[in-house]
Amino acid sequence: MKRLMTIIISITMFSLIGCGGAAESPGVTENEILIGNVQDLSGPMKELGKILPAGSNLYFDYINDNGGVHGRKIRMLVEDAQYNPQKTVVAVKKLIEKEQVFCLYNVIGTSPVEAVRPLLAESEIPLIAPATQSGTMSDMSRPAAEYIFPTDTGYDIQASILIDYAKEIDENAVIGVIYQDDDYGENVLKGVEESEAEMGITVQKESFQRGATDFAGQVMNMMKGGCTHVIIAGIVKEPIIIMKTAEAMGYAPQFMGISPTMDHRVSLAAGTAGEGFISANFAPLWNSDDNVPKLYRELCEKADVPEAMMGMYHYYGFSTAIVLVEGLRRAGKKPTRKKLIRGMETFNNWDGAGIQPLTYNRNDHGGAEAVTLIQIKDGIQLPITDWIK
Amino acid sequence: MNSLITDLAQEIFSGIALGSIYALIALGFILIFKATEVVNFAQGELMMVGAYVNFFIIQGIMGDLHVPTGWMFLMGLVGSILFAIVFGWFLDLVINRPLRDESVFSIIMATISMAIMLRALVSMIAGSESLVPQSPFGGAYFNLGGVIISVLDLTIIIGAIVLVSAFYYFFNKTRWGIAMQATSEDPIAAQLMGVPVKRVYALVWIFAAIVAAISGVLLSPRASLIDTNMGFLGLKAFPAAVLGGFGSIPGAIVGGIILGVIETVSMGTLSFHFHWVKEINDIIVWIVLIAVLMIRPTGILGTEEIKKV
Amino acid sequence: MIKGRYDDENLKWIPLLIGLVLLIPFALKGMTFSYKYYIYILNTIGIYIILTVGLDLLSGYAGLISLGHAAFMAIGAYTSAILVDQAGLPFMFSLILSPLIAGCFGFIIGFPALRVSGMYLGLTTMGFGFIIRRLIIALREWTQGSAGLVVSPPNIFGFTIKGDWANYFLVWTLAVLVIIGARRIVKSKIGRAFMAIRDSEQAAEASGINLAKYKMFSFFISGSLAGLSGVLMAHTNHFISTDHFDSMLSIYFIIMVLVGGAGTVYGAVLGTLFIVLLDNLFVPELETLLHTMFSIESGEMESFIFGLVMFLFIIFQPTGLYGMWLKMRIYWKLFPFNPKQRFT
Repeated sequence: MKRLMTIIISITMFSLIGCGGAAESPGVTENEILIGNVQDLSGPMKELGKILPAGSNLYFDYINDNGGVHGRKIRMLVEDAQYNPQKTVVAVKKLIEKEQVFCLYNVIGTSPVEAVRPLLAESEIPLIAPATQSGTMSDMSRPAAEYIFPTDTGYDIQASILIDYAKEIDENAVIGVIYQDDDYGENVLKGVEESEAEMGITVQKESFQRGATDFAGQVMNMMKGGCTHVIIAGIVKEPIIIMKTAEAMGYAPQFMGISPTMDHRVSLAAGTAGEGFISANFAPLWNSDDNVPKLYRELCEKADVPEAMMGMYHYYGFSTAIVLVEGLRRAGKKPTRKKLIRGMETFNNWDGAGIQPLTYNRNDHGGAEAVTLIQIKDGIQLPITDWIK
Repeated sequence: MNSLITDLAQEIFSGIALGSIYALIALGFILIFKATEVVNFAQGELMMVGAYVNFFIIQGIMGDLHVPTGWMFLMGLVGSILFAIVFGWFLDLVINRPLRDESVFSIIMATISMAIMLRALVSMIAGSESLVPQSPFGGAYFNLGGVIISVLDLTIIIGAIVLVSAFYYFFNKTRWGIAMQATSEDPIAAQLMGVPVKRVYALVWIFAAIVAAISGVLLSPRASLIDTNMGFLGLKAFPAAVLGGFGSIPGAIVGGIILGVIETVSMGTLSFHFHWVKEINDIIVWIVLIAVLMIRPTGILGTEEIKKV
Repeated sequence: MIKGRYDDENLKWIPLLIGLVLLIPFALKGMTFSYKYYIYILNTIGIYIILTVGLDLLSGYAGLISLGHAAFMAIGAYTSAILVDQAGLPFMFSLILSPLIAGCFGFIIGFPALRVSGMYLGLTTMGFGFIIRRLIIALREWTQGSAGLVVSPPNIFGFTIKGDWANYFLVWTLAVLVIIGARRIVKSKIGRAFMAIRDSEQAAEASGINLAKYKMFSFFISGSLAGLSGVLMAHTNHFISTDHFDSMLSIYFIIMVLVGGAGTVYGAVLGTLFIVLLDNLFVPELETLLHTMFSIESGEMESFIFGLVMFLFIIFQPTGLYGMWLKMRIYWKLFPFNPKQRFT
């Protein structure tokens, strides 16, 4: 027993001698910048966990082949957190302390990002383009907000935009919203409530649980409430089932969706029920003729990206990678975390990423406030508006 | 008033269909529990495997052969049942046999880890993207006095009733069924009386896998997308098994339908007419369940276990 | 000479345990730059140990299964967050009060436990987990619904405990206290009553054990320990949301207890260490290794390995880690005379 203690103490003493100081700016070497990404690779959102980093790597590879950023190549580490806030904290801790990444990028999920805020503040590490569109990301009153640079229009703003649009196309529109009963839905409701107060209308609200497969009750309630425009705050499965259920019941309101619903599989799986479905979108369509989508398709062709993977989520990874690279460029030749933050804060209505124009400054990390609306016509998604606020 | 009745009827029908799926998964839970006293936490994952096998058989046939649609779905069903037979036997071999003499807890743990492995393995093989399954009936439905009855839902309900009755008959009337009951009462005594206990266990796991495969095949068109997380539905079917009475086969359908109806009605009409219901509509199921267990501690159709001291 | 109450307990382990707990962070700090990450993981383990030891008292000793223990953790976490940040109570006060409140909820759940047992009880507690989640969302005014709540760091007599290093000592002081306390409980009359209830309720009742009292008490103590771990979780992580305490977490806790070996306090400790380390250190290393050996492109590799390791462990070591340790101890005590039949 005593001997054991002696051994332990001596090991400790020896190892204490080996102590040293940390590098000046972690994650940056002569020819490499290390980026940390936390995705959901085996949880409820694992589809995105594969597609988003693939899109980002497509652009990083393109940049690396063309000499990198100020001569440094970008390397991205992806950790799995199963969309769970607790696991995300562990993963981010690992990236910061163990892997010594330069900055964080694309961490997925609203409550996961909320959960890592204390870590961001503690390590003063910026998080570029969190993969969540919650309006709370750009709320500067929350802790560590100065380290977060959201690229998306918040769910709350999107909900207001959709309500505005519905009222615009039909003055007598009765609006309903079917929302997922979690942090996502909470943020959508915030926007809905703001619009309600502003316009003096009431919106019928129905909730569903994450992972629900039956929406008969909610759709019936929308029908009973006489809603002519129904906003779906779901992801991919929910709008499909809701629209199919409504079609079977002979109920045909104008369905609209918050931007997670703009996946092309909605039109694929919903068939005739999905005709006319309007969804908010953060970017010009990936198959449109703008500059960035063109580059995107070119690179996809070169890298032999499978057809099934190409789409808005893949493009999301791609375009946010452009934002990150631009930020790194602006951070200068000897990047530090602080310089990256200052660099990001020089964005002024910058639209080079193929998404809505971004603006950041010291007091406002709002990023974007606009979306385009796309509609399914004959099974194909087509843009129907320009950027609207 | 009239419209309220139609609405309720519509929701109840929808709830019965949803409940039938719960009942099918619950049936799998109950079969294994009845014979081995093990709660198989991989039951939902077995269903997911069934749905995937069915999907790939149908897709494979569609790609290669030109068979009429009806046959194609039949072949998908038969193929996934055949696969389930092999798979159930395999599970008995790797989970049940090595742990037979250990405590029930270790087998439960083994099923939990099997569930984790199956989820990972399926998405490693099939890819993590969710798939769009075909529905054998398209979106076919008919109108019965204002209530929309979809053919798919009707098939699910009939399927659940047929399967539950078949297993009820099997357990109570056939030689093998009685052998199974004897095994669950006392495996050693059953063995001494000449019951091939090992084969009985294998058969139970095979049955559970078959039931799971059928529920997977029926659920996938209703769920619109299949992914490896659909196995978590097993956690929702678990209450159904318990509500009906763990160990009672008709209890599966009773529990499943009660829960299904409560779920749709509380999300629908109740939430619409009573505002406060909206705040709690997802836990009404659990409140009812706990209340029932307070009155009947072994579920609605469960039999009281008499303990020997 | 009256035999002391705890004479049969091997007390020399306690100083070793404390010494080990004190030394590990310094050893880690010396060995690696990324010590903060490892300490963070150790903190998580400490927090979970408090809970699993409590769960072990309930499920391992008293034989009452709980599939909703994360809910008690949530109660402790939210109560403490609200008490400290919104009501302005000092942390030390909340550290005592919040677990007691969680314990009272345990008391409430004890009532169903008087009537239902086995899997029916498991399901009741699982339902309790969902009900608590809904309750937290419904009390939006204080809890901010599902958006989550920011929590201040613990403040003990004016000293703010911040950072993983400081948290470590807070968490592990309490964890060690809980371990020692739980050992005391199980060696006492209460622990013997729990075991009697687990082995046969009828026999226990016949020997004069008040079933209702002890069942309620086991839920109370288990609930308060879970609440305590929730308090620590909230104040060391600075953020809690309903997603932190989902039903899968409860199942993981049960796994930890069972892997360690139900019905032994050290078993619960070992099980927690094993599962958390497996999940966070061992599996990622193995995955990287496999990546370099074969080029497998899948994000699911980690959870597959996790499932596989656990599965193999159960197949080959069904008595749990503590059972394995006991076997090893007997083996070495008897060495070189190893009767084979001891190991079947």
